[in-house]
Amino acid sequence: MRLDLARHLKIFASTLFIQTSWSFFSMQGMGFLHSILSGTTRERRDRTMKEQKGFFNTHPYLASYVIGAALRLYDDGGRTAEEIKRFLAVAQTGFASTGDLLFWRSLRPALLMLSTVLAFKTGVAGMIAFLIVYNIFHLYHRFSGIYVGYINSVNTIFLLKSRRFVLLQRLSDLLGAAAVGLLIGIAKPVLPSLLIIPLTLFFSTLVMRRIPAILTVLMLLAIIILLGII
Amino acid sequence: MMLFWPCLIGSLLILDKYAFGEFGLSQPIITGTIIGAINGDIHTGILIGGVFQLIFMGGLPIGRDIPPDGPGASIVAAGSYFLLSRINAPGQSLFAAAVFGLLASIIGGQIEINARRINEKLYHRFLRDEKCLTRCHFLGLLTAFGRGISVFFPFFLAASLIRIPVSAPVLDQQRLITVGISVGLANGIYLFFRRSSLLYIVLGGICGLILLAT
Repeated sequence: MRLDLARHLKIFASTLFIQTSWSFFSMQGMGFLHSILSGTTRERRDRTMKEQKGFFNTHPYLASYVIGAALRLYDDGGRTAEEIKRFLAVAQTGFASTGDLLFWRSLRPALLMLSTVLAFKTGVAGMIAFLIVYNIFHLYHRFSGIYVGYINSVNTIFLLKSRRFVLLQRLSDLLGAAAVGLLIGIAKPVLPSLLIIPLTLFFSTLVMRRIPAILTVLMLLAIIILLGII
Repeated sequence: MMLFWPCLIGSLLILDKYAFGEFGLSQPIITGTIIGAINGDIHTGILIGGVFQLIFMGGLPIGRDIPPDGPGASIVAAGSYFLLSRINAPGQSLFAAAVFGLLASIIGGQIEINARRINEKLYHRFLRDEKCLTRCHFLGLLTAFGRGISVFFPFFLAASLIRIPVSAPVLDQQRLITVGISVGLANGIYLFFRRSSLLYIVLGGICGLILLAT
């Protein structure tokens, strides 16, 4: 069975819902199974259902690569359930850490910081720019990942070291660094209050020491209450 | 009816974060702007959304870790501000909205754990009856929507009822921006500061100053 456009679109649409039924027990298990089944023929449905009814978790955007590769394995046949499970275990972990690093830690915060600075200065333009640029990268990986995964089959995991990920992450890091500078630049009007310096140092210490985020929020709450009172 | 729309819009926007797509529509800067536009004050919407964006920039949803609910916080803060400011002074409304938003981020994180437990029950239901995969999977949308309502409704109800006394604390926009930029810088330094990226930080700073001058 080929990966034609109709099948591709059907799988793509289902990957948009991969996180819908996220639970602690199976994580994206149901979402992954639903995506795989949306691209599987009736004959292979029972086998897929039997073998993939369990835990699955990876980065939601890069799940497309794993889904494409898994579909190819089922289409080709000849692989045992154990072999497919072993491949999925390696692939989901690899794509999870790459995706977390690339999207959650680099690209999204970099673009958000940039768009926030732009929004403070230009209004709605910053927000629109973020949505367009971010979704170009996001949807590109989500859509093309299915095809690339399907073509490369088990070799998909070697893509993790390819330019499409490495270059984008480097670029995002540089963009993020420039956005930090930009934020310092536009912070100039509030610098006279001098409050920004101790607050930045204080919160940098909290973040660097990896204090639990809830504690940071509670301290922020205390600071805002204090600022409100004085 | 006054409470219905903010709850509905907020709960629909939050689906982007927890159930459908993750297009970035639930990011604080976007939700703040949308809520501001709906209430006819886009400037304050951007301000609240932008500040909450900078505050929750570092919350990374990696693996099983559930960070505080930044998108929910922004929706609560922006929505509450517009409800509060109908009958209260702007400074006091902004103070109460910021406090509501930060509290919502903590409560939202806890409610998210419960929502995921409900999804766990759906998964076990599916294990008992394979035919209901699609139904159980998409019921997760309802869980996420209900999660949104249960976070937003109490705050919006309180915001629509509270009359803040004149002697209550006041927060002006400048101070809120100062706090936002401080936490944003801390998050940015943590995420992007490397020796190799120092040049880009300086270049960004120069661009910021030029942007400020124009």
